[in-house]
Amino acid sequence: MQLDAPQGSAVGGIALRGPGRAPRRRRYLTDSPWIWLAPLIAMLLVFALYPLFYNIYLSFHEFVPRKRGLEFVGWENWQKLFDDPRMWGSLWVTLSYTSMCLAIEIVLGMAIALLLDSDDRGFGVLRGVLTLTLVIPPAITGMMFLLMEDAQFGLIPFVLKGIGAMDGTGAILSNPRLALAGVMLADIWQWTPFMVLIFVAGLRALPRDPFESAMIDGASSLQMFIRLTLPMMSKVIAIAVLIRGIDLFRMFDYVFVMTSGGPGTATYTLSLYAWQQTFSFIHWGYGATISLFALFIIVVVANIFVYVTRLRW
Amino acid sequence: MIMTPTQRIVRALIAWVVVAIFAFPIYFWITVAFKPERDIFALPPKLASFDWNFASFQEVFGISFGFIEGLEVLPGGGNFYMLPRLYDSIIVAVFSTLLSVVIATLASYALSRMRIRGQHHFVFFVLSTRMMPPVAVAIPMFFIYKNFGLLDTYIGVILVHALMNLPLAVLLLKSFFDDIPAEIDEAALIDGASRFTIFRKIVAPMAMGGIAATAVLCFIFSWTEFLFVLTLTQTSLKTVPVVSSTFVTSTGTAWGNMAALGVAAMLPAFIFILLVQRNLVRGLTLGSLKQ
Repeated sequence: MQLDAPQGSAVGGIALRGPGRAPRRRRYLTDSPWIWLAPLIAMLLVFALYPLFYNIYLSFHEFVPRKRGLEFVGWENWQKLFDDPRMWGSLWVTLSYTSMCLAIEIVLGMAIALLLDSDDRGFGVLRGVLTLTLVIPPAITGMMFLLMEDAQFGLIPFVLKGIGAMDGTGAILSNPRLALAGVMLADIWQWTPFMVLIFVAGLRALPRDPFESAMIDGASSLQMFIRLTLPMMSKVIAIAVLIRGIDLFRMFDYVFVMTSGGPGTATYTLSLYAWQQTFSFIHWGYGATISLFALFIIVVVANIFVYVTRLRW
Repeated sequence: MIMTPTQRIVRALIAWVVVAIFAFPIYFWITVAFKPERDIFALPPKLASFDWNFASFQEVFGISFGFIEGLEVLPGGGNFYMLPRLYDSIIVAVFSTLLSVVIATLASYALSRMRIRGQHHFVFFVLSTRMMPPVAVAIPMFFIYKNFGLLDTYIGVILVHALMNLPLAVLLLKSFFDDIPAEIDEAALIDGASRFTIFRKIVAPMAMGGIAATAVLCFIFSWTEFLFVLTLTQTSLKTVPVVSSTFVTSTGTAWGNMAALGVAAMLPAFIFILLVQRNLVRGLTLGSLKQ
């Protein structure tokens, strides 16, 4: 037994589980977790916290053309933010975009997941094909739908007019009432498969016994779905909602390539509005303020969501 | 659920139709890349019965597809010569992936095997960086990069893309390390091995599949990223998603060329995504859901 070995230069540093078994162990540099975490922490400090503080700094300044530089303006940008009807408009667009896409993608995703949850031949291939939409750059998806929704040459207005669901010029993206729906279509096409894949994985992991007992007791498919499938899938659904909700709220690519916010302000999302204020209108400080506001909303809402649903990583 | 043969056939039929609807825009985009200019605007659209040709690809990549004789590189290239932009995309994606995977592997090993004070909060902080709207990073980054001369450089874009992928990589790799029993480490520790030896000789090799899957996902996210490249580059580099918006010109949009570039950008991503099917759901849910 090494238990009573004299304390030498190699002092036991590592705490082993269970008393009385540990021989004295050499101490290594890599015993400390901080060595392992150092590159990550450095990266997060330089590329997450520093920009965050710089952004806060910017939000209290504004670019002054006469000085060709920043000037301290105090709370002016924040005052402006809350008085700016276009900001509230873009927040409204962002929220309706997020909630509508989320609702449609969940319902559609769940329906398709139930359809594709089968061991029959060919279903694996079908699920594989669905994953392809996920890796297309969203900017290129935006271009695809720009062409397909073109008022003159587009496939979608052509089909819609063909079945009588649409009349007039066939304009989607230049029609203020339809433009947001046109952008949402691209999002729904690209990201419903995301929901499908996650839901299928959740459905496949469900235990079979409760369903067999329910069937013996004469439960209908709908009853089983509402009483068994949905409750057992709640964690899976919560994760999907969290991740998709975050990405929807900060959406930029589709509106940037498809509509640039137009017509008028019909498709301005917060991200696009912040970006344009900074880089198109040279309101550096105000753009930073809007982006901070978006950051604040999303971090607060997402954290409440994680807390309420008790998600763990 | 028990289904009759008829029900099973109907179900399979519906499933094929639904998936075909989702696959259709991709097929349509591919046909645009191979169509002669005039057929792009034909209504009803020509889905197969047109003169398939490589003209758009030749213009975009400056390569003449003289088949059998082999490839011949055209001199110069026109307005839409995009081969260098493809190289830019590859350089950025490869190096940012390497960087984030190396950093994340080290960090997630520690998060999986050792205890730090406030571990839960730290993991949550990492997750929170995944929530930041890219625009809230891109705006300050533009000014910071301008001050440090990193604007419009490979290293600048690579660093930002690495940051963007870090939360995914850390959380995903942690879940892969958590799958490997900690008893293995403890046994080796008792034998006097250092943490780094254990990591290098035992745990990392066992997690190789997970590390590869993580790398593939990082590559794809960097490959498809738009906002950072749009904001932080000017002339010396541009990745494919950003440069495709330059096909929209005042004299009209070069749809055929844009589709050709888009198809070229999709293909590597398609191949990669098929490689990680087994770990895809775990990756998309940041490691919280295992298949």
